[in-house]
Amino acid sequence: MRVSRRKFLHAGSAALVGLSVKGDRPIAGSFVNDSFQLGHKLRDRSSFPVARSVEKRAVVIVGGGIAGLSAAWRLHKRDFKDFVLLEMNEQAGGNSRWGENEITAYPWGAHYIPVPGPKATYVRELLEEFGVLRGAVWEERFLCFTPQDRLFLYGRWQEGIEPAIGLSANDREQFQRLEDCIHTFRESGEFTIPMERGLSSHSADLDRIPFNDWLQSQGMNSKLLKWYMNYCCRDDYGALASDTSAWAGIHYFASRDPDEKGPITWPEGNGWIVKRLLERVGAFVRTGQMAHRIAKRGSGCSVFSGETEYQAEFVIFAAPTFLAPYLVEGMAPLHDFEYSPWLTANLTLDRLPANHGADATWDNVVMDSPTLGYVDAMHQTLLSRVERTVWTFYWALAERPPAVNRQSLLDKDWSYWKEAILHDLERVHPDIRRCVSRIDIMRFGHAMARPRPGAIFSAERRKLASLNSRLLFANSDLSGFSIFEEAQYRGVRAAEKVLDILGGRS
Amino acid sequence: MGILLFITVLLIAACGLIYELIAGTLASYLLGDSVLQFSTIIGCYLFAMGIGSALSRYIHRGLAYRFVWIELLLGVIGGFSSALLFLAFAYSQGFQILMYALVVVIGTLVGLEIPILMRIVRERYHFRDVVAHVLTFDYLGALGASLLFPILLVPYLGLVRSAMLFGLVNVAVALWSTFLFARQLPSTHALRAVCVVLICALAAGLSQAKRITAVAEDNIYADEIIFARDTRYQHIVLTRFKDDIRLFLNSHLQFSSRDEYRYHEALIHPGLSAVPAPRRVLVLGGGDGLAVREILKYPQVESVTLVDLDPEMTRLFSTHPMLLGLNQKSFQSPRVHIINADAFPWVDSNTDSFDFIVIDFPDPTNYALGKLYTTAFYKAAARHLSAQGLMVVQSTSPMFARDSYWCIVETLKQAGLHTYPYHVYVPSFGEWGFVIASAHEYVTPTLLPTGLRFVAVDGLPAMFQFPPDMSPIPMPPNRLNDQVLVRAYDQDWKDISH
Repeated sequence: MRVSRRKFLHAGSAALVGLSVKGDRPIAGSFVNDSFQLGHKLRDRSSFPVARSVEKRAVVIVGGGIAGLSAAWRLHKRDFKDFVLLEMNEQAGGNSRWGENEITAYPWGAHYIPVPGPKATYVRELLEEFGVLRGAVWEERFLCFTPQDRLFLYGRWQEGIEPAIGLSANDREQFQRLEDCIHTFRESGEFTIPMERGLSSHSADLDRIPFNDWLQSQGMNSKLLKWYMNYCCRDDYGALASDTSAWAGIHYFASRDPDEKGPITWPEGNGWIVKRLLERVGAFVRTGQMAHRIAKRGSGCSVFSGETEYQAEFVIFAAPTFLAPYLVEGMAPLHDFEYSPWLTANLTLDRLPANHGADATWDNVVMDSPTLGYVDAMHQTLLSRVERTVWTFYWALAERPPAVNRQSLLDKDWSYWKEAILHDLERVHPDIRRCVSRIDIMRFGHAMARPRPGAIFSAERRKLASLNSRLLFANSDLSGFSIFEEAQYRGVRAAEKVLDILGGRS
Repeated sequence: MGILLFITVLLIAACGLIYELIAGTLASYLLGDSVLQFSTIIGCYLFAMGIGSALSRYIHRGLAYRFVWIELLLGVIGGFSSALLFLAFAYSQGFQILMYALVVVIGTLVGLEIPILMRIVRERYHFRDVVAHVLTFDYLGALGASLLFPILLVPYLGLVRSAMLFGLVNVAVALWSTFLFARQLPSTHALRAVCVVLICALAAGLSQAKRITAVAEDNIYADEIIFARDTRYQHIVLTRFKDDIRLFLNSHLQFSSRDEYRYHEALIHPGLSAVPAPRRVLVLGGGDGLAVREILKYPQVESVTLVDLDPEMTRLFSTHPMLLGLNQKSFQSPRVHIINADAFPWVDSNTDSFDFIVIDFPDPTNYALGKLYTTAFYKAAARHLSAQGLMVVQSTSPMFARDSYWCIVETLKQAGLHTYPYHVYVPSFGEWGFVIASAHEYVTPTLLPTGLRFVAVDGLPAMFQFPPDMSPIPMPPNRLNDQVLVRAYDQDWKDISH
């Protein structure tokens, strides 16, 4: 074969270019489980098909997240079977949805439940039924394994997420003082889970100011302490401490005092609970069924979904409450409900990054990152050696107003977010690009309720939460914030209210 | 020419300092006590430089020629100094003598360099300028070398290759000097030929440096390595010294063939002899087949199931002639079934029941191994016990890791089992501990297999007594969500070694 000089030079320079480019592997992936298209149809009042059939049910549950599934669980447990649950997405579970690949199951959202205190009776009942709580003992295999979490700061990992290294005497004094304050709040019995059980107007003042201002008023200005407070607010509320009600900021700490080292977790996160719930009530759940209109009809309600009109005596509205004004005929717009946009990503790792002597943990947080770090889906394995894994990367977009962040979630493409995630991880895992083979990204425009100042004691919220009409609102956002325990509590309460009126008839 | 000359000074100064730093570092690595090593080496080196300077006065003629030769000698001696010292440490008793000899020779040669160089160039410059310039560049070179050494050379090249690299610099200076001082040299061909030969030799050394350190490190393992392999799960090393074969997993000693019978007899017989009519036995870990060898001494045992993670390990102990002698071909017995699996998931998914369960895992040095010492694991294992069944757990040393030992006992208790802790003395390990655990009461056996070398009926009660320095201390149990054992174990061994 004769090779011309020009060809030779071309081949040669191509080879040189090839050598000089860093050998990063291509990373596959896409956006998954997008649901904003459906939401926007409602918002834009698109035309929906006319009902062609009628189905009569005593109860229709709208929304198949934890609240809706918990309502179904309680109805079913009381042997009440005249109900149906309509879920807009193809997969039930809401914020507790999960995914699975050849390596492991992994969460798309909520990934743990703190060990519940004695007041969370419904959660305890549920976990007892699922074998997580036996007698008075929590099943060890469902508690997060050692080592639980770590924080990257000053160029190294420390055990635990609360900053513990490089604290000045002043920092220590402030952390201690905060702990003492929290202790007093906890003792007051006003900060409970479910929040309704303890809520008292004594603390209404705290709901009027941002958490940040309260910290400031207590002379707590330590940078490390403020970072930690911000991290906690972003983690549970998707908001900065300056956008969070002081009552909610305090509730995060004062509501929990576990007697067992936790939290409770599974590879697929709270998806494990969804699976167990679906084993019981799956037959009543209809996915891919978006309710598009709810209207009063006689003493009951009609729910329109697809070409079916469901005529019900009661409707349990367990979908996010902000959707209600778009569905419910004659409902006034809401003012006190704000939501934080989130992004979660699942990264498939074909090999593990170097750990440089630090033990790999379940939850991994990096100080001063705008993200919340990642959780390792293989952490709860009983294998003694892990070679591949899936990391779930959490990012509450808290820095700018929610509407602006929602727009950028829609505008920016997958590569943009993929690069942003890899850049963030590269700070602590320089070799991450050589380990990751796939990044799937899920965008949540309205991921969780944001407890702004005023949200907790909002008259609007309390009125909707009161369960005194044929349309019962049950989403966790009626607590002012989105956590598993509140969702389950409100779902169960709505179901019990219905059962009380219908007298357990089936 | 001026600047080239001063760069020469800078380079040779750097070379000299690097050799000195290498000797100091090596001595600190290998002998410890870095303050002593660095002090004596710097002292010797400076003193030898003085000797060199003093000797320079006896050199009258052929200054340039001698300078080139000094550079060549420095290049070859300095360049190979580090490799030589490594090998000397591994293979001889004379490491320190050789080290100080090398330091003195190199120091003397370095001491000769500068005075001779100054005399070579003194006709061209004022004496005042010569002294100022030469010394300036000399100290600059030293600064460069002292920064380069810890930041770049040690971390990226290592000691052996750093020395060779600077040996090359010395020889390169020699080669370059044959051009620089061509007029003062009688003939340059021969000198340049020597330079090229040495450059080749040093370059070859540079490329083979890894092998040199490997050879040396092999020997530092104390005994001859007869087998070494990185498997998917661990680093297996077998060493032999005369008739003593030792197994190391991830550099932790697993047994010495001289006294392993003490360990394995103690692991098996107090428990197994107490089980009436044992038919089925389970061994978790124990891929060396030595525990199985002891189990096979019971003719009534019909089947032994061995679950070990690493197929390379069980293959090695099924095939290596020297090891077959040790475990008496236990893996070839038709009664033995080998399963290569991860123990926890296996115990979870299997449903067989056993009359005797042996749990013989490596010590809980990390959280992955720590999972195999938890209440969850012991509960899962205990589900496999038959009505008469007993379980025995290797539990580290109650002497050196007392907290860890009693933590394991407490963990077994919390798993709902009765515990019977005991200990024996194994010379290569020291005091070693085991725990028998069962759902019912355990009574020490009155009859043992014949032919045992260590465990005897009369000696059994003493094994179950703990003197005050090993007596029980209250410890929390080890759980999956609160692995106190790994922390305790880490602390126990830190307390011993510091």
